[in-house]
Amino acid sequence: MSIHLGPVDYLVIVSYLCATMVIGLWVGSYVRSGSDFFLAGRSLPWWAIGMSLVATDIGGTDLVGVGGDTYRYGLVMGNFEWIGCVPAMLVAGFVFIPHLWRCQVTTIPEYLERRFSSSLRTVVAACWLLLMACNLGVMLLASAKFMHTLAQWDMSVSIVVTALLVGIYTWSGGLRAVVFTDVLQGVVMIAGCLMVLILGIYEMGGFEPFVDKVHDAVHARRQREKEARPLEELAEIGDIERSRERRSDRKSNHFSLVQPVDSPSPGPWPAILFGLALVVSPGYWIGNQSIVQRSLGAKSEYEAKASYVYGALLKTLIPFMVAIPGLIALVKFPELGHGEADRALPMLVGYLLGEGWRGLFVAAFLAALMSSVDSYLNSATTIYVNDFYRKFYRPHADEGLLLAIGRWTTIGFVLWAVYFAFQLMVIPAGLYTIFQTMMSFIVGPTLGVILLGMLSSRNNAEGALIGFIGGVLTSIGLFLLNQDFVADWLNIEPLFRIGQAYLYYSIWAFISTILLAWLFSYFGKPDAPEKRRYSISEWKPFEEAAP
Amino acid sequence: MTFLHWIGETIREQLLHVPMWVARWLFIGLLLVLMGWVVQLPVAAVTPPGRRSQWYEDLRIWAWLALMFQIVIYSVF
Repeated sequence: MSIHLGPVDYLVIVSYLCATMVIGLWVGSYVRSGSDFFLAGRSLPWWAIGMSLVATDIGGTDLVGVGGDTYRYGLVMGNFEWIGCVPAMLVAGFVFIPHLWRCQVTTIPEYLERRFSSSLRTVVAACWLLLMACNLGVMLLASAKFMHTLAQWDMSVSIVVTALLVGIYTWSGGLRAVVFTDVLQGVVMIAGCLMVLILGIYEMGGFEPFVDKVHDAVHARRQREKEARPLEELAEIGDIERSRERRSDRKSNHFSLVQPVDSPSPGPWPAILFGLALVVSPGYWIGNQSIVQRSLGAKSEYEAKASYVYGALLKTLIPFMVAIPGLIALVKFPELGHGEADRALPMLVGYLLGEGWRGLFVAAFLAALMSSVDSYLNSATTIYVNDFYRKFYRPHADEGLLLAIGRWTTIGFVLWAVYFAFQLMVIPAGLYTIFQTMMSFIVGPTLGVILLGMLSSRNNAEGALIGFIGGVLTSIGLFLLNQDFVADWLNIEPLFRIGQAYLYYSIWAFISTILLAWLFSYFGKPDAPEKRRYSISEWKPFEEAAP
Repeated sequence: MTFLHWIGETIREQLLHVPMWVARWLFIGLLLVLMGWVVQLPVAAVTPPGRRSQWYEDLRIWAWLALMFQIVIYSVF
């Protein structure tokens, strides 16, 4: 089932797109230099950065995908926005982001060169550039698929139009345009989702009846699944599942955020606590250039901190808007199977919203999509220009040349993203999964070297480089050992029992990075004082450090 | 079973023995520790420099509020 869009819906969508372009191009008219383009001239206010952080983090596919996953597994998906964001954002906001801001760097790899070595900078930059370039295509294709499901839009047209619109304002205004369009996109996204939430709860007769209806729907689904299962399969159900099914009350754990170790959901509690909250989330909020870059463009150190705290407060509200609608859909359309759960939110929107309001929801989806694509586009450009072009080719390039190169690179990445999205349409599904899992390969090792660099002056450049490479190889190795075709070839069982084990790859990659870096640093020579002074404990402002 | 399988299975077996209420308290405990850490941050690190700040400019208040919401959420759900 797709959403039927009428003329008023299209009017709302076109109005939103026009407003985005006007803001992006207007802001872009003030861009005069490379510093304006990459860091908005270090003039961004906290409220814009905070909203931009949240808008960037929620992609278009997340909006619909989280609703679908909540339909399948329950409120456990809220962990990815709550404990999977808020603690890390606060620690990052008070400790790590201010230090990066004080160091006056443009990219995370640039910090790693100042603290450790040029080699580490290049390796980390190459990994992130590859991830971002691939992610651009993945995001465009995944969103085009959803637009096809949502509104029957042609996928090729969706890819080209989205890339073109985002490309134009990012080309014009760089980070400043990205952040200020993100503010509009964040507001539209929140408004669209809030509307579905309020109407849905009203339709259920209030919150308490809604909770009861969810428990009833899950109970009925279990009964249906149980009746459909063969007897031998029933015997294989784990103890936890059996005891749950035996419970006399009709309460399900669809509202439980803390799920058992063998839960079929993507969030058993050890993965959420040790993988998400302690590794992936800090790695994402401290080490992901497309997130951190906007706070490096803050007006002051205080505004950089405030933006993360404000973002953490906003994050508290997000699961109510993106996950609860999935539960409302479960009550309204309980007959959808696991494979069809991603249709839950579009069906709910089609059922709840009238003409015009449906357009606002599609605009919210586009807003979520565009706010993520523009950030990755601008950050990929920033890494390419600063960590490759400027470092290896033109170290003394002036601000005007950097601006021109930045804009040309943006065009290059837009063309690449469109090309790659079309290529992804025809490659095998397994490769597509690899691109979606790539973040987990590098986020743990990146966090490892940043933590070692900032929190300890004893770790040296060789240790950090070996630790990072070892961590990445660890996560790739674990990923491969968990693939069915590799396990069959080696005649072993896949390594992890849960379907989406990327949180576990990140934990082990992080641990490997820390251990290897510590080991090689312990037996090696300490770095020179001019390197060590970039750790937090030995930090000296530039004027004090000058001879 | 390889050595890696053995490590994973051993950890899994140990984690299966952790009662769910303990797991929930680990989540809440992490948030409580952070609350304590936020409260003890020095005033200079959480207010605008170079001038007398208003109460609402103290970032500890808002960070504390965000963590309080989290504790309520993880206590209820």
